[in-house]
Amino acid sequence: MPVSVLIVDDSPIARKMMRRSLPPDWDITIQEAVDGAQAIDIYRKGGVELMFLDLTMPNIDGYGVLEILQAEGLNCIVIVVSADVQPQARARVLAMGAIAFIPKPVNPEGLQEVLRQYGILV
Amino acid sequence: MNKGLSEDQTDALQELANIGMGQAGDSLARIWKEFVHLSIPKIAIVDASRLPALIHGFVGDTAVSASRQAFHGGFRGEVLVVVSAKDRNGLANLMGYEGQLDSVEREEVLLDIVNLLGGACVGGIAQQVNAEIGFSAPSLIGEDIDPLDVIHPDQLAIDKALSLEVCFQVENRSLTAHLVILLPNNEVGALAELLDQFLCTL
Repeated sequence: MPVSVLIVDDSPIARKMMRRSLPPDWDITIQEAVDGAQAIDIYRKGGVELMFLDLTMPNIDGYGVLEILQAEGLNCIVIVVSADVQPQARARVLAMGAIAFIPKPVNPEGLQEVLRQYGILV
Repeated sequence: MNKGLSEDQTDALQELANIGMGQAGDSLARIWKEFVHLSIPKIAIVDASRLPALIHGFVGDTAVSASRQAFHGGFRGEVLVVVSAKDRNGLANLMGYEGQLDSVEREEVLLDIVNLLGGACVGGIAQQVNAEIGFSAPSLIGEDIDPLDVIHPDQLAIDKALSLEVCFQVENRSLTAHLVILLPNNEVGALAELLDQFLCTL
């Protein structure tokens, strides 16, 4: 059964970079959202298992998305992928329910390590 | 959106600048010991003749301080940082200066800012497109000057400029810094080629 992945980023290039960073032989289906509001819409339809979430976005930023997900029970795994690499940003999103913080540009090996660490990739 | 870069190239440049500014925000947060909120960088290629109006549009009818730093290598140009005069003391305080600053200290603050923001942004872009780049020493354009006097297009040997607007906000205060990257005409092409090579890797 493929893993349902949602990539959330306002930058089309960042979404491409994210896709390119995913393990090539990983059995997944990928949806994309261009901002936080669209991400919430897709999440509420159900089925999203893993969300790669940018922080700095229009129409609900990444923090706003995490707040809403928490209020609604956080029924998916969230990995934040952001250029905002301040330690406070990392601490804040982990406290809000994200399981990991990956700095941009994404290092594919580092990403795979995180996915294995949490048993998402076997 | 412009004659200099395609939509894909502009998207790529925006994301690469975003990554560079994220690193700048981290550097500022470590110096300031405060969490820094970053805006989404706004990027545009503009006619050089429009630069004075553009800078006026950033800050409005207020005096500004500005500094500049040249860069060279895989692509060359100059980065300008403009801050409104009302933000200058706040910046100085965050950077560890206290009390009334003398002219040397005020200049140091402005040179530090262009060094940090320009280096992070242009350096971040260059690193991601695999271009070697070096920086000259920063210099002061002026303090408490009219925003229309920061750039005199008739003194520039360029037709186009890359404008990058980014805001940094710290808790309880708003500090806004504006970056403008000046690229000679042929250098926009050089940057476009580097961006194409980057896009081919995606």
